[in-house]
Amino acid sequence: MEKQLGRQVGEWVQAATLAEVRRRRRLAVDVAGRPIALFLVGDDVYALDDTCIHKQRSLSKGAVLNGRVICPGHQWVFDPATGQVEGQDECQPSHAVRIADGVVYVDPQPRERT
Amino acid sequence: MIESVVVAGAGQTAAVAARTLRRRGFDGRLTLVGAEHEAPYQRPPLSKEYLAGEQDRDELCVLTPEWCEANDVELRLGVRAAAIRPGDRSLELADGSSLRGDALLIATGGRPRHLPGVTGDRVRYLRTIADADRLRAELRPGARVVVIGAGFIGCEVASAAIGLGAHVTVIEQAGRPLGHVLGDLMGDVMAALLRTNGVDLRTGEKVEHYAETASGAVVTTGGGTSLEADVVVVGAGMVPNVEPVTGAGIDTAGGVAVDEYCRTGVDGVYAAGDVARQWRPHLGRHVRAEHFDNASTQGMAAAKNILGGKSAHTVPPWFWSDQFGHALQHAGHGDGTDRLVVRGRVEDFDFIAFYLSGGVLRAAFTVDRGGDLAVARQLIAAGAVLDPDVLRDEDADLADLFDALG
Repeated sequence: MEKQLGRQVGEWVQAATLAEVRRRRRLAVDVAGRPIALFLVGDDVYALDDTCIHKQRSLSKGAVLNGRVICPGHQWVFDPATGQVEGQDECQPSHAVRIADGVVYVDPQPRERT
Repeated sequence: MIESVVVAGAGQTAAVAARTLRRRGFDGRLTLVGAEHEAPYQRPPLSKEYLAGEQDRDELCVLTPEWCEANDVELRLGVRAAAIRPGDRSLELADGSSLRGDALLIATGGRPRHLPGVTGDRVRYLRTIADADRLRAELRPGARVVVIGAGFIGCEVASAAIGLGAHVTVIEQAGRPLGHVLGDLMGDVMAALLRTNGVDLRTGEKVEHYAETASGAVVTTGGGTSLEADVVVVGAGMVPNVEPVTGAGIDTAGGVAVDEYCRTGVDGVYAAGDVARQWRPHLGRHVRAEHFDNASTQGMAAAKNILGGKSAHTVPPWFWSDQFGHALQHAGHGDGTDRLVVRGRVEDFDFIAFYLSGGVLRAAFTVDRGGDLAVARQLIAAGAVLDPDVLRDEDADLADLFDALG
């Protein structure tokens, strides 16, 4: 779990079951009205905004390779934990994830960029 | 010790090279020479979202004048690179001045290939932002648009024009659009995509005669059909701008020949991007690519090597094309492959096609499955031998094939 610095963690919202994320590996979910993509990387679950900041493609339709998320649109590569774009200054909004009792909870408020 | 770099060209390749040089700590003199008056900008949107009026000019910029000032990069714009002098490693400009550099990077790109006999006030080519601005104003509802050449530029212009309400006819001399890149089967899929979206596609037709009257252009094909048009767009490929290099002892036939490190045969002179014909060790031949990604990755490799690195450019080529609301992407080299395997449904324009040679994945082409193509790029780079049954199985996750490579 990433630590939330400088502000209170918002309300956790139930996003999916862990079993479903494990089975699908990439999953588009709606978290409090916000389209979010969940990614299984190794045994960890990460959450990024689903709509790519570059050209609005859906990241959940992309791929996870070598621990990185690749957008299906123009193959931009993201760090799933921070949303940082490889080789660029831009950043995809990322969200804190908590897993409890086989349920994946997501903070609908994106992390602040550090 | 490299203390000055001169780049002939100010497009995507030059921009990436400049950024790479500065990021890697090069603090010497760095000059970009551009024939256009614009600061470096991206060309792919010129035939896509920019042409369709969905993107602003500012969004195209890749190296702003502010960044250049902050990073001490000199932009010499509106002046053409005329000739290199390998002896004193300098670049002569069209205005008579010259720039000396410890390294010269040739990134002069290309220009549209002109069709003999097709000249007049209504003929358009598409390469620069000025070309796009002019054409954009002419793609009006009801406009009669004839596109000569069903390559990627021609197909994208057709898509933008249809989207803006124009009547579009595309004339292609080959039997199918993009067949030379995609092969016959996928070329047929492209033909279906164009026709389904309202393009009047005429394949196997050459332009025999071109004339202009008071009311429009008249394009007459070899089959004897005459097509009237308000605007005629020629998409007949590009010619690499090798002129500054000719006579310098470097092979410039079909592009400036470079090795996999983007080095020409002359010490200290590099070439990258659309103008470069690069040795591809895995293919055993030189290849000149005209894609954004190639411009970026070659520009980066050239910059690293200028600074003393040994960065071979071997990544398989990749490009995208947006047409009729679909995202098309291609990776690798499909020529000479012996088997095509399709996952998905070509009739729904939702699939990825794999090109295999002796069981080895060499290329892939997709409509709307960019995630699968991301994996395919890695499998192509790895030279993976793959089971066609797994490739076509929708339930098999391609990422597993990549993970299995170890």
